[in-house]
Amino acid sequence: MSSFFNIITQTLAAAVATVGFSLLFGTPVRYYPFCGLIGGAGWFFYITALPFSSASAATFLSTVIVIFMSRWFAVRKHCPVTIFLISGLIPLVPGNGLYWATYYGVTGELTMAFQTGLEAFKVAVAIVLGIVFVLEIPQKVFTIGNKN
Amino acid sequence: MDQAKYEQEILLLALNAGRILLENGAEVTRVEDTVLRICRHYGLKSASSFVLSNGIFLTSGSEEETQFAKVQQIPVNAANLSRVADVNQLSRQISAGLCTLEEAKAALEQIDRSPGFPWWVQAAAAGISGGCFSAMFGGHLKDFFCSLIIGFLLQLFMLKLGKPCFSKIVRNILGSALVTLLSIFCYRLGLGFRLEALMTGGIILLVPGLAFTNGIRDIAAGDYISGSVRMMDAVLVFFSIALGVGFIIALANQIIGGIQL
Repeated sequence: MSSFFNIITQTLAAAVATVGFSLLFGTPVRYYPFCGLIGGAGWFFYITALPFSSASAATFLSTVIVIFMSRWFAVRKHCPVTIFLISGLIPLVPGNGLYWATYYGVTGELTMAFQTGLEAFKVAVAIVLGIVFVLEIPQKVFTIGNKN
Repeated sequence: MDQAKYEQEILLLALNAGRILLENGAEVTRVEDTVLRICRHYGLKSASSFVLSNGIFLTSGSEEETQFAKVQQIPVNAANLSRVADVNQLSRQISAGLCTLEEAKAALEQIDRSPGFPWWVQAAAAGISGGCFSAMFGGHLKDFFCSLIIGFLLQLFMLKLGKPCFSKIVRNILGSALVTLLSIFCYRLGLGFRLEALMTGGIILLVPGLAFTNGIRDIAAGDYISGSVRMMDAVLVFFSIALGVGFIIALANQIIGGIQL
């Protein structure tokens, strides 16, 4: 029950954080709800998948979902995919891993530093793979069922 | 207007649109696409462009059309995605034939002048994002409020002192050092509960998300030069953050004998 509550609050926090980042990147205000939705969905799938997989696999999954949704909305709202993509991906960027790698590196625990650094790097690679794969999907897939 | 002058106007319009796109965080393919689309639509068939992450080279000229070339150097700037969206919208209208050359020119000027958010709104947004991030990484309510203030102060520092006074690298080193200092301070005073959550909430505001994402997209699209430059930019910022964080933690270890986690 408490983990369910955790998932809900964290998803909401991710959605609000994504909207905050949209503002910092100067995204038009009319797209904020979609940015929030995308960021929240990305984090929701990340924390849901995390108990069953590695951090990089969970990141890959949610990157794919974030970019798929970004392209979906980009086609429907007639705007560049960049607008949804950049703020939506921010929650998945390994800022936390960067902190731990630095922390262990400075405090002399080199094994842990290497381990956390490698983990952060793997997460970054997972994001790269997600971006590359989903951006290769032909535009036609996303225009299915698009009325306007 | 005579033909040569008209062609020159088209080229300058296209270049201007490209500049606004590139300056505000669009990827290279989009810039090239838009520039050529505008030229073709207004009847300049021979236009050809070469776009890098910090410059646009645009030429035209053939047996029928006048020779003209223009190079525009574009400084790396803070992104404003609403300008990218607006130029994109304008280029759609131009393609649909809804805009004369004069109208398009006026519209572009207006987009270029559209203001960003004032500093306090940006700092508040950074604070809220930082607070939410600390909640996402296991922070409690106390951590949320600490990160809120740390994020606000960090953005204030970056906008008011960092941007006008320091280079990008120094700015990020100082910014992450500030985050670490404030986080350890809050943690030691008992205002914050989890140092990890405080740190993550602060660091994430410095992470080069735009450069990283656009770098990958440029490389994936085959624009290797621009892609590598942007990736290099992102990696440098990552290293700067690590340097700032590491410096303060090492210092704290020396002075207060380690930070118990």
